[in-house]
Amino acid sequence: MIASLVPAKELLETVVASVIAGLGVTFAFSMAIWGVARFADLSRGERPLAAAGAAIVAGLGLASVGAALVFGIVVMTSG
Amino acid sequence: MSADVILVIVVCTALAFDFTNGFHDTANVVATSISTGAARPKVAIAMAALLNFVGAFISISVAATVANDVVDAGVITPTIVFAGLIGAIAWNLITWWFGLPSSSSHALIGGVVGSAVAAVGFDAVLTEGLVGKVLVPAVVAPILAFVVAGLSIGIVYRVVGKQRPGIVSRGFKHGQVISGGLLALAHGTNDAQKTMGVITLALIAHGSLGANADPPFWVIFSAATAIALGTYSGGWRIIKTTGTRIIKMDAAQGFSAQGAGAAVILASTHFGFPLSTTHVINGGVMGAGAAKRVSAVRWGVAGNIMMAWLLTLPAAAAIGALVYGFTAIFGSSAAGPLIVTVLSLLLIAALFVRRAERGSPVAASSG
Repeated sequence: MIASLVPAKELLETVVASVIAGLGVTFAFSMAIWGVARFADLSRGERPLAAAGAAIVAGLGLASVGAALVFGIVVMTSG
Repeated sequence: MSADVILVIVVCTALAFDFTNGFHDTANVVATSISTGAARPKVAIAMAALLNFVGAFISISVAATVANDVVDAGVITPTIVFAGLIGAIAWNLITWWFGLPSSSSHALIGGVVGSAVAAVGFDAVLTEGLVGKVLVPAVVAPILAFVVAGLSIGIVYRVVGKQRPGIVSRGFKHGQVISGGLLALAHGTNDAQKTMGVITLALIAHGSLGANADPPFWVIFSAATAIALGTYSGGWRIIKTTGTRIIKMDAAQGFSAQGAGAAVILASTHFGFPLSTTHVINGGVMGAGAAKRVSAVRWGVAGNIMMAWLLTLPAAAAIGALVYGFTAIFGSSAAGPLIVTVLSLLLIAALFVRRAERGSPVAASSG
């Protein structure tokens, strides 16, 4: 009986959105920190090409976090 | 005239409830940021207050649920809403006094349901909305936050586990500015909307708004202001007690816990689920802690949440029903709500004086 009262679609979408947003932002931000940490190490080791690669990873990670936040706010305010 | 007086009392009571909600919940929103050193207490509290205010404006889905999906707005009167609010406030005070766990959000919904049943009967309760949009999400959301936070911290340790701790820690402290801000925003949007929903329900009952109406701007603005002021005021108490209240965790755990809590609250808010934000935040904190070391988690908190789930709704409902029964003695006049308001204020003052004399620490109930 309870099953018929539960808005299963909305609940499932909440679970999926929470998992994707929570894990996605964490992964992207972790990659950004990994990129910064590797950039610092590789710069000291005079490996400019690898350091540039790490910097790009860091930039992409931060950009992904920013994009996710903007997307989330847009979805919230539009619905 | 009486109906107008009752409406004013309801609006003032609802905003006072909103203020205390912010006051209680400041600790939950800022504790992890302060604990890890990601933000200075004054900055964290000011930012939390501001983002609680902003958050109240980004959605009205939860307000719509509270106003239209829990009880039948067509049979509700402002006195019923008033009795429900008093039921919620009374239960929060009782749990505060005895140090029992509570949930302001569940108390609010329980109080309104109880007074509606006392006034109209069980026909006033919209079972589908109460079960599907309140009870089930109340159980699912903290568990979801626990799982997401646990998986998040696993990802963090896998990605940056071999990097130098100094850089990683500094990075996640900066990240906590974002995750803490999102959590404050999420708290503001879900919790302030409950007050908006109750005021909107009272306005519909009064006849000032049509059925299924959205909250007017002044309702949104006043609810946002009340929760932001409550958050800011509550912060000064937290600064004094920071050392004893907060849970020790590293910056990555704080980031994961806050991120998981914010994600779950914002997603739930989008679908109109009114949650106990404190339960969700606690779920995130425990998940981030359990993933690192199971014994580090304060499992007693989980027990408290379970107890709050079981007790709060029926207890607040019972008090709401009793209050409605008392106000009904005076018919539809404003005398009943006025007497209850005066008695409530006197009781609250007496409780605070007694507590101050005993010098015991204040145990906040949760939102």
